Amino acid sequence: MTVSLARRLRQLRSRVLVRAWHYRQRHHARGVWFRLRRTLAAASEVYALPREEAERLVSEGHGAESVGLELEPPKLMLFVPAARVARIASARPLAARLNAELLASECLALVPFVAGPGPQAEP
Amino acid sequence: MAFRDRLVATIRAARPVLESQGVLVVGSEVPNLLESGAAATLIVSQDLDIGVPVDRHAALKLRLGELHEFEASADEPSVWTARSPGLLELNFVGMDPGQDPAEAYVLEDDRLPLLVFGALSLLSPGAEIEIEGTRVPLPRPAGLLLEKLITDRTGEKGERDLLVALALLVTAGPADLEELAQAYRGLRSELRHAVRSNLTILSLLGPRGGMPDPRPRRADVAALLRRLETGDPDLP
Repeated sequence: MTVSLARRLRQLRSRVLVRAWHYRQRHHARGVWFRLRRTLAAASEVYALPREEAERLVSEGHGAESVGLELEPPKLMLFVPAARVARIASARPLAARLNAELLASECLALVPFVAGPGPQAEP
Repeated sequence: MAFRDRLVATIRAARPVLESQGVLVVGSEVPNLLESGAAATLIVSQDLDIGVPVDRHAALKLRLGELHEFEASADEPSVWTARSPGLLELNFVGMDPGQDPAEAYVLEDDRLPLLVFGALSLLSPGAEIEIEGTRVPLPRPAGLLLEKLITDRTGEKGERDLLVALALLVTAGPADLEELAQAYRGLRSELRHAVRSNLTILSLLGPRGGMPDPRPRRADVAALLRRLETGDPDLP
């Protein structure tokens, strides 16, 4: 076997080992990143909210996504219909991306792609 | 020289091996070739991946002598470099339909050793297209899309590969998506998780130059995620 083929094979097997490790982590703390991405992937729009607006939404019955509470510091992440978000003047649109701005936001409103309970019902 | 011209010239020059039975063009160039008129607007690496079924390896080797425009790389004999700057490299990879999708091995050979990628076992022959007189055998879209989604990738290259998957998803029809869902259900749990994980990464990618903008397609990705999750025995 050539040196380069052996190296590529070794690299590929290393990546497979890392993937298996991520898979085993999926129900543990490290798996939060997959769960966070999965939740954000279900949102057509993402908004940063002031804490008081987020708490108002909670009082209206919008449930917090559990994945937000798995982070430190915790985030209040709520699936909210687009029409309700439109009534919040202070809602600040964010790119649906795992960037610094989103990660720094304490409270997030997520507009679901489809009507229904949102991804809380999904894994 | 435009990239499309190099791609087309490479296909023409690689005709002897592309006409070898069982060979498939795989990898990132497939969406480029599927564009109208093989417009090749996606910016990908400058090689043409040629999938060789391991049981057709001997037959393919008989055609290598007809590749007058290429020569085997001294460093990496599974790569054949172009003698002219107007052509892309040929990158031969092995396909073994009986292989575990997570495994890989080297098919040893003095002339054309192959790294056999297990994920390529998900591919099966699909349509043939004709590019300026040369028959180009392509894999079925569902298998190629699934292969892109289970392959673990990192960094800029990895993200571009996911955007290649998006380009395939955009052109996939309902029958392709049903085939994809069925093949997904046949994967073991870890690989199904890898598919879903890569889809979530794809959903959150920003635009990249020369690649399809993923943002207007996020709904398609979300719909595919929901479809794959429905009935997945690992999920509540």
